[in-house]
Amino acid sequence: MAKKSTPQKLGSSQIGGVDLQEVERLLEFMAKHGLEEFEYERSGFRIRLRKPFSQPMGFSRAVSAPDIVIAAGPSGHAGPAATAGATSGTTSSGTAAPDHAGEAGRAASEDVHVVKSPIVGTFYAAPSVGGEPFVKVGSRVDEGQALCIIEAMKLMNEIESDVAGEVVRIFVENGQPVEYGEALFGIRAHRKK
Amino acid sequence: MFRKILIANRGEIALRILSACRELNVRTVAVYSEADRHALHVRFADEAICIGPPRSSESYLNIPQVISAAEIANVDAIHPGYGFLSENANFAEVCEASHITFIGPTPDAIRLMGEKDKAKEAMAAAGIPVIPGSAGVVPDEESAKEIARDIGYPVMIKAAEGGGGRGMRIVRSAKELIPAFRTARTEAEQAFGSPNVYMEKLIERPRHIEFQVLGDKHGNVVHLGERECSLQRRHQKVLEESPSAAVDASTRQKLGKQVVDALKKIGYSSAGTMEFLREDGGNLYFIEMNARIQVEHPVTEMVTGIDLVKSQIRVAAGEKLSSVLPPVEFRGHAIECRINAEDPETFTPSAGRVTAFRVPGGPGIRVDTACYADAVIPPYYDSLIAKLISYGHDRAEAIVRMQRALDGFVVEGVKTTIPLHKRILADPDFVAGKFDTHFLERMPALEAKAKAK
Repeated sequence: MAKKSTPQKLGSSQIGGVDLQEVERLLEFMAKHGLEEFEYERSGFRIRLRKPFSQPMGFSRAVSAPDIVIAAGPSGHAGPAATAGATSGTTSSGTAAPDHAGEAGRAASEDVHVVKSPIVGTFYAAPSVGGEPFVKVGSRVDEGQALCIIEAMKLMNEIESDVAGEVVRIFVENGQPVEYGEALFGIRAHRKK
Repeated sequence: MFRKILIANRGEIALRILSACRELNVRTVAVYSEADRHALHVRFADEAICIGPPRSSESYLNIPQVISAAEIANVDAIHPGYGFLSENANFAEVCEASHITFIGPTPDAIRLMGEKDKAKEAMAAAGIPVIPGSAGVVPDEESAKEIARDIGYPVMIKAAEGGGGRGMRIVRSAKELIPAFRTARTEAEQAFGSPNVYMEKLIERPRHIEFQVLGDKHGNVVHLGERECSLQRRHQKVLEESPSAAVDASTRQKLGKQVVDALKKIGYSSAGTMEFLREDGGNLYFIEMNARIQVEHPVTEMVTGIDLVKSQIRVAAGEKLSSVLPPVEFRGHAIECRINAEDPETFTPSAGRVTAFRVPGGPGIRVDTACYADAVIPPYYDSLIAKLISYGHDRAEAIVRMQRALDGFVVEGVKTTIPLHKRILADPDFVAGKFDTHFLERMPALEAKAKAK
């Protein structure tokens, strides 16, 4: 498969941190060079594109190597591991975070910390069905504060923040299955003074 | 039939199970550790779920993670492959409690076979020959004499609590017995804190021979002939073949029937292997049972034409053996070489990036592998990177096909055991079928030969 780095200049339209214009450009690039499959990675951003006829079956959301995978890297400003292919049912709706993938490099210096899922399970934003979520974008959290619940084997596991700061991004939706290491929250850490 | 199966394994066996599922039109879910993000089982499965960091204790062996993955992917069965959770009775129980079919024997059967002493007892009670010996600890010198006389010299005295050669004595005649018994007890006491020893018949120049079996959930069991697995290094099999040159048709039939009857008695309901040691004189004694699909299952598939993994899945789904299997016939000869990412001289694992990978083909050659050029062999798991299987109308043809396939197998970037296999296949004793489990220990250092070339 081709791996290629191209200079970045990004537009602003995006869904859940996925820059659509950039994806469009990558798709054009694939068409132009007759590529069946394309994988591209740079700081905080990974994408894999595959033409629909080169895969045998559809993939389900979040638990797969889907048509298009965009995974948050260590700096965390890229979008969620969202499926953007034809089989996609859900794509994270915008969470009003102003950052986008193109700013991943800069983001690293902004202390945005990504809280990742330590286990495989089902993500719940609130402690009870229909209840108020633990946190929302803009919430201030302390270190050790509960951010969400991940249900695994009928057990409710509270996931705590490992930093103090402001929630700037929620990468997953209520009720969604998550895998090990999947990005859950972006938290802009309070600067230590 | 199942709708969707989670494959709780990695490497070639994960791909092997994936192939079986594809042919059965069952959807697949791969699980993987962070070290296997680019592994082929992840790419070829319908879905894939990361279940943890590289260390297998935190991923492939982590029962809560595997079960959670099965639940979020909504599968109706889990295939454990071999190794990892395949013979974990607790895992099989958790699957049951979670209403997921464990593709393997019942938890009780796994537990029984996991405790070797109990397995031996159960098999002896069911009429299978076991190595003659003391039933438990030998209490005193008088009993030692009596037992040794009953089972016949040479005998072996072994520490009950230990292993690794300490507290172990080989006794060839009655006059050596008492001194050997005393020193074995003293050694055992010093090494393991208990002077308890037991005694069994010494099997000289043993061959390791095993019977493949398959049972269903309706009380039916068949055997699919034997495999010769004597070529081992530190109890790890290196090369296997079927049939064994040391088993004739009448032995196969007689022991095969005993095995089938014994497993019907305990209600064995999946693929499994009964392992035996064959002594020089020709007697075979049961040593243990592997309650799983095995690495070397392809040689049996080649000589019977039966797809063992598909059959195992179908019986787990409740089908009867009579509808799964054609009449069992044995035809031709098959050999499997385990290609490990190891230094062929020192046998130390050789992890790293594979820079070139060229697989042989042609008549009678099968390669089961999850490796590819540019793949990285992680250091966290076992070193098997490919199984090279040859088939011929007889043993001689299987050997020459294997030789030319080994010559055409190119792996660069990591060291492999391919040179070791070339030497084995060229060895006159191997070609003549004359070997036992100590064959590889006697082989002179590889490197010297390689340099001389």
